[in-house]
Amino acid sequence: MTRWAAAVDRGMRRRIRIGRVAATAAMALLALAFAYPAFLTVITSLKSQEAVLDDPLGLPRQILTEAYATTWQVLVFGRLLLNSSLYAAAGAGIALLLAIYPAYAFSRFRFLGARTIFILLLTTQMLPQETALIPLYDTLTRLGLLNTRAGLILIHAAWGMPLQILLLTGFLTNQPRELEDSARIDGATDRQTLRYIVLPLALPAMAVGFLLNFVGIWKEFIFAITFLNSEALYPLTTGILKFTNSQFFTSFTLPAAAVVISQLPLILLFLVTYRWLTRGIYAGAVK
Amino acid sequence: MSEHLAQPDLRRPGDHPGTGADDVTVNRSGRSIAWQQWRRLLRHREVFLLGVLLPLLVFIFFVGYPIVYTIILSFSRWDGFSNIVTYVGLDNYRRLIADQDFWTALSNTVKWTVSSLVFTNVLAFLLAAILRSGYVYVAPLIRLCFFLPVTMSLVAIGLMFSFILTPAFGAVSIVAQVFGVSEPDLLGNPGLVLWTLIGVFGWSYIGIPLLLFDAGLTQIPEELYEAARLEGASGFQQMMLVTLPMLRPIFMVVTVLGVLEALRAFDLVLVMTRGGPGHASDTLGYFMWIQSFDERRFGYGAAISVVMLALSSVFALIYIRRAGRDALGGGG
Repeated sequence: MTRWAAAVDRGMRRRIRIGRVAATAAMALLALAFAYPAFLTVITSLKSQEAVLDDPLGLPRQILTEAYATTWQVLVFGRLLLNSSLYAAAGAGIALLLAIYPAYAFSRFRFLGARTIFILLLTTQMLPQETALIPLYDTLTRLGLLNTRAGLILIHAAWGMPLQILLLTGFLTNQPRELEDSARIDGATDRQTLRYIVLPLALPAMAVGFLLNFVGIWKEFIFAITFLNSEALYPLTTGILKFTNSQFFTSFTLPAAAVVISQLPLILLFLVTYRWLTRGIYAGAVK
Repeated sequence: MSEHLAQPDLRRPGDHPGTGADDVTVNRSGRSIAWQQWRRLLRHREVFLLGVLLPLLVFIFFVGYPIVYTIILSFSRWDGFSNIVTYVGLDNYRRLIADQDFWTALSNTVKWTVSSLVFTNVLAFLLAAILRSGYVYVAPLIRLCFFLPVTMSLVAIGLMFSFILTPAFGAVSIVAQVFGVSEPDLLGNPGLVLWTLIGVFGWSYIGIPLLLFDAGLTQIPEELYEAARLEGASGFQQMMLVTLPMLRPIFMVVTVLGVLEALRAFDLVLVMTRGGPGHASDTLGYFMWIQSFDERRFGYGAAISVVMLALSSVFALIYIRRAGRDALGGGG
């Protein structure tokens, strides 16, 4: 390469680097602006009410955890956390159990109507929950399950099942089946094949389905607010509503603290499972 | 997550049928093959009962029947307590048409849905494309930032924005001063409130289409771009001629998902405005919920649900038709 060409090349590279720095700076700025409300919430939760009114955007001069202590007490936060965990774990767990055989059936058996049934099940996710709300309310009332933990878990499980069937079917369809075939030739029943061969290999896919469903139930609101009315049963979503009942806030630090502690568990979970979660969302939507 | 509409991945469920003995090969008329396939399924009784019958029953009990019952209820009057359900014909729908509040809610929902397409199909796509262009150094970290709200519940997001945007908090007025405009009352002004909610919805939701576009972009083969460059295509032409056509299926999914999510808008309205001021920020979901569970006019609420059902069915059908096309040839 001639000296001249090398100089041009160096110039080009510098220009590209400048372009990259500029693009990075612009995007980073955008991302910071985007994340700013969340950041503002965190710093607000660490201030005193006077400090907030004095300088709403400023960093806290001294870090106070008072708002957290009060929020924890006023909302009986431990209970909300426990309820949310219970609903999400039980709902997603039952949905996963319900999804195992259907996924096996749809990926291993061919029969007339399979596609119709499959699509029928999936319409669950396309329809607004609002359209089934009144009859579900009526059904739960008749079963004596309105305003009970079991009732809510049941409904979450039923509405979570299709997504998990979809994800697991997608996974199983792409799995090699030599092992299963040889197991069956050796006389294994369907249950044994599932238990010892199919499921152990499908654990990662099952984890993704469970996780996605868990997050979904944790965030869910309309079922919880419609089917529960005693505070002892509230999950986080309906629990923190207490702080919004007035449009005019008497305190800013309390709602801020409530937002932070109610979302922290899930954000932590999300950071740990980022890869799985995003893969699951993609598979659930596009694959 | 609220989330996801899914497109069935029924990649030929019969392509790899189980073991030899039960396999059906094409040797008779189509009908008898179907019959043999079903007999095979029925012989695997456990698979039939737990894999086909049980999910169907669960679906019918918790989804199918409730939706049908909602439709029936929309022709009735029912207070939710008594066993007396009175058939009233089209009364609920007649009242709906005459109800000014219904039209407000409907038009708000339509505005919400259409403008959320800006977030899902334009902003999210641009962000995804820029972040995948290779020009941004810490792209994964930035992507993570935009995705973070997806893990938050809409209730928490609503609570967060309602105190941040309240005039008494003071953040809005500081920002307004920076831009030299008078402070807008984002939640109290009937002309603004809906757009505020839509903006918050966009904030909460943009991570999902961003993720989908991002995954789609990584799957476009590099050779296509090389070929386009060899032909002398500019960056813009590469975008128009390679990227956009290749992402068509993703745009479809993103649109349907976003529309269905916007149509059911309820959480943010309840948390942030309760439909106010007046009815300025009512949406169909919220209007339906208030009419049913607050006013206890369940027949009327059901009629509103039916309108929501009709709107979302249109989009769900587009999706299902595509699914049907993608899925297998025979077998159902």
